Amino acid sequence: MMMKRCTFLLSLLLAAGAWAADAAAPAVPATLDNRVQDAKSDVIKLNRDLLVLEEELLFPANTQVALFVSMDVGKLFELDSVQIKLDDKVVASYLYTPLEVQALHRGGVQRVYLGNLKTGTHELVAFFTGKGPHDRDYKRGATVKFEKDTEAKYIELRIQDSMGKLQPEFDVKLWK
Amino acid sequence: MRVSSHRRFTLRGLAAAVLAACALSATAAATDVPNHEIKDPHYGDVLFQFFQDHYFSAVTGLMVSQQFGRVEHHADEAEVLRGGMLLSYGLQREAGEIFAKLIERGAEPKVRDRAWFFLAKIRYQRGTLAEAEAALAQVGDQLPPPLQEDRALLQANLLMARADYASAAGVLSAVGGQAGSSRNSGTRYARFNLGVALMKTGRADDAARGVAVLDELGRAPAEDEEFRSLRDRANVALGFGALSNGDPKSARTYLERVRLKSLQANKALLGFGWAAVALKEPQQALVPWLELAQRDVGDSAALEAQIAVPYAYAELGAYQQALAGYNAAIAAFARESTDLDESMAAIRSGTMVEALFERNPGAEMGWFWRLGQLPALPHAGHLSQLLAQHEFQEAFKNYRDLRYLTTNLEEWRAKLVVFDDMLATRRKAFAERLPQVRERAGASGLGALRQRRDALAAEIARGAAAADGVAFADAKQLDLLARIASAQAIVAGNDPGLAPARERVRLAAGALTWQLAQGQTERAWRAQKDLQDIDDQIAQAHRRDAELAQAQRDEPARFERFGRRIAALAPLLDVMIPRVAALTKEQQFALQDIAVAELTRQKERLAVYSTQARFAVAQLYDHANAKADAKQESEHVAARP
Repeated sequence: MMMKRCTFLLSLLLAAGAWAADAAAPAVPATLDNRVQDAKSDVIKLNRDLLVLEEELLFPANTQVALFVSMDVGKLFELDSVQIKLDDKVVASYLYTPLEVQALHRGGVQRVYLGNLKTGTHELVAFFTGKGPHDRDYKRGATVKFEKDTEAKYIELRIQDSMGKLQPEFDVKLWK
Repeated sequence: MRVSSHRRFTLRGLAAAVLAACALSATAAATDVPNHEIKDPHYGDVLFQFFQDHYFSAVTGLMVSQQFGRVEHHADEAEVLRGGMLLSYGLQREAGEIFAKLIERGAEPKVRDRAWFFLAKIRYQRGTLAEAEAALAQVGDQLPPPLQEDRALLQANLLMARADYASAAGVLSAVGGQAGSSRNSGTRYARFNLGVALMKTGRADDAARGVAVLDELGRAPAEDEEFRSLRDRANVALGFGALSNGDPKSARTYLERVRLKSLQANKALLGFGWAAVALKEPQQALVPWLELAQRDVGDSAALEAQIAVPYAYAELGAYQQALAGYNAAIAAFARESTDLDESMAAIRSGTMVEALFERNPGAEMGWFWRLGQLPALPHAGHLSQLLAQHEFQEAFKNYRDLRYLTTNLEEWRAKLVVFDDMLATRRKAFAERLPQVRERAGASGLGALRQRRDALAAEIARGAAAADGVAFADAKQLDLLARIASAQAIVAGNDPGLAPARERVRLAAGALTWQLAQGQTERAWRAQKDLQDIDDQIAQAHRRDAELAQAQRDEPARFERFGRRIAALAPLLDVMIPRVAALTKEQQFALQDIAVAELTRQKERLAVYSTQARFAVAQLYDHANAKADAKQESEHVAARP
């Protein structure tokens, strides 16, 4: 009786173990699965078309301005928040979650603001708050004057480490 | 019994693809220090979304940026990333097309190698193994290090799929490295699979090597839960392998290493008991089995313990306890069977899927997501085995994705209505306000301004021709000119008494004429410059007016185009929403079918155990009857004269 049990148990165990093999085993997906994948694909494409429409309608290229935040290394600065003023008007205030800070550390670039500006000269002022070296509260600003023409304008606010000064640095890059 | 790398391929492969896309070295990735260069900020934004597990936003955002041509500097990397994301959503056809195009257009070797690798993976998942092997053979030496490991695991899986365990073991040996080199997660899985592959080659020396590999893994110190879990699996595999080879002593040694609170614990406790029984030590079997019998009978090992305990009692000769145990097990099985019926009814009514969805929410579609929380339902434990099933996880992921898509589509439908309203408002404002603006601009006198400018130009020309500077005299000089003319009129004549005054007036007039003549050139230049400024302003005003006129002609056409696009997209949404809703319902039924099938299997298992218990009870009664008969017989014999 014991051996019979043992065999039965082994077959159960192998069946349980075979879960792994089943998972890896190549199999032609079921019809429903295919139809679900087709629907997902169609919705993704539809989203693309809707997002393109939304952007062209709300932020046409001739007036569009997009502001980005990036962090290079960022060991000397622990970002908490950023506030951005365009022509003395606050257009973005953003409080970062640890996950977002981590995404910036890993090389992500956040589009923090998308809006419209008329052609001409404009001024941007950004304030970064967080923890600086030695865990001290840190608030710094960066400012830039720029010309808006009839092309979309992309501006990147960069947080970098200055290893020479052992201080974080904040600057602004105007993308061509 | 080999560990699947299917899910790991998806997760780790894509992560590796993205890391490679960012040109992160393995060391850099380990220390989380980026050393990449973002050449298009929108590509960085895609990564920002991706790194936060916002995969739907990442893939759609990437496609939008590709359409606008603003990720040109990362064109190939973006395609690899898009292909990887679509592949992970299960969109194999699209992903395959992307990778095939990358290869066709002769992308650089490091991109081409990744494309061939992912194509091989897609073909493997679709079951076209020969094509998968052919694609894998095309991968050169430019694959980033994290993918090299996955490539070897894929190759080993392909070899094992055609039962070539010896070759698979050869490939895995190269990845798994030497004993004690199992610090890296991928290497540990490779070593586990290596052990299993060696045991399956059919050669005694390989089997011994396989046992040694798994034994080394089973004894290794593990610093994280993933490794501890793998170590438990290695020990359980070794233990049951030893049991089936008739080596219960070794089996006990291996099974003792499994943690009491782990996914493998129940199997290990059961096996440990059987090893003790095989060693003729049933009392030792009772220790793990009694513990196991207390656990949730939704687990097959715990279920078997219900009858294993009375079996051990019977082996020990404690027949009364054995009988009571079997009867208790039969009663427990009957209760469990009723509970399973209730669970199946809950599943069929749709309650289970909804409860699971509520307990396992998520912001976006995503493949890293895994169903983990049991629903708040009676007998939810029945579903724990279900949750461990790849098939159920994948089906639930589809269900969850479909629910997300429904919300997404509904949001777009509401937005499109807003866009349409906005467009109508703009169209109206434009039609009403632009003519007024142009009229005002005309009324404010572009024509009059031009007339005034022409008069001024004529005056400047006359002044320049006269060359006496009078035309460019300032207000003070004009006043002086008037006063001198007045004085000249007063002192006119030959009155000798006024001769000195006449002389002073003459001198003053001469001085003023000199001053005017001296300033003539500069003032004429200034006047010309002012005239040029006026000309520029007039030209600018003309341009603005022309732009407004152009806008008056173009904007209605632009609004018309937007209107047509909205009108074209709205019906697509109207078709897509019910299509997704119908698929959601179908997917829910499919999920319910999988769940019911699993619970039916559990019921069948219960029936088997129940029959065994009844059979054992009958045997015990037979044994007792035989014993009573024997006793009666012996008493009868003893009573004979």
